[in-house]
Amino acid sequence: MVKTIVSIIISFSILLGICIFESFFVKNTIDSVENALIQLETKTKMQTATKTDALKVNEEWQKKKKILHIFVPHNDIGYIDYWLGEATSYIESKNFDHALSKVQVLISIFEQIPEVYSLSLQNIL
Amino acid sequence: MGLIFIRTAIVFISLMIIMRLMGKRQIGEMQPFELVITLLIAELACIPMSDTTIPLLYGIISMIAIFFLHQVMLLIDLKCRPLKTLLTGKPAIVINKNGIDITELEKNNLDITDLIESMRSSGYFSLDDVDYALYESNGKFSAMAKANNEENNQKSSIPLLIISDGKFDKHNLDLIHATEEYFLKLLEQENIPKLKKVFVLTIDGTGKVYLQCRGER
Repeated sequence: MVKTIVSIIISFSILLGICIFESFFVKNTIDSVENALIQLETKTKMQTATKTDALKVNEEWQKKKKILHIFVPHNDIGYIDYWLGEATSYIESKNFDHALSKVQVLISIFEQIPEVYSLSLQNIL
Repeated sequence: MGLIFIRTAIVFISLMIIMRLMGKRQIGEMQPFELVITLLIAELACIPMSDTTIPLLYGIISMIAIFFLHQVMLLIDLKCRPLKTLLTGKPAIVINKNGIDITELEKNNLDITDLIESMRSSGYFSLDDVDYALYESNGKFSAMAKANNEENNQKSSIPLLIISDGKFDKHNLDLIHATEEYFLKLLEQENIPKLKKVFVLTIDGTGKVYLQCRGER
């Protein structure tokens, strides 16, 4: 009886702890990369973005994605890698129009990720 | 992760309801919630194992959620009688002294052929061979053989649980048309001052009482 109650408390604490950690961690990680992307978007709009700027965002993303793999399906991370690679390549070739569309898609993906994993009725259903 | 926990809980509860609605014939010696867990746990372990795009944590969280729900069910099973009946059901007496209880059979989605089959598996080849037969809440079939002579036949009856873990079973009290006061007096005679001390008290049709208090063996 006592053992059952203790195991209920422990398992619930683990679940609650992971849930809270996940929601904060994913949001913070996504926010930091998103901010870097917004800066890149501004520079791309002004056509002053360089390969170094794009690589900085890439570097930031590579650092963060390692831990993000624990929480986010690997397919979603793969899509971000793909779009980021394309954006970097367009910036390198000074094709700012195409680069801008890629960066904007990336920003919208980053905005959606925390929503996709949030506790909401549409996600549960 | 909270999302996975809620989704797992929804699947668990849905499966539980379905298993309970299906009646006893779908359950084989397991309580409904144990069967639901067995069905779910294998799938939960398999999906993140075979699909490498899904983080392993998803499977682990689902399994912890299942464990948590299992422990909650276990607690309800042990401590909360009304909810226990709702979750695991109660034994269904399908044959009694008056014959086959058709209503009880139908309530459990069983027909006479299922009953005869269960009787044969228990070693009884005629419906007249038993005084009582019941399907336990885990779907297992139990039968009490008919006594051979007339005297014993009158004595044969199924013991009913009257007090369990310090609480009266009101349903069984109604069945034997007895009152709580009668048994409280009986406890007084046995020098048991508090109902809480009683671990089990059963009575059969002959009036034979089995009584055991907490701390006794």
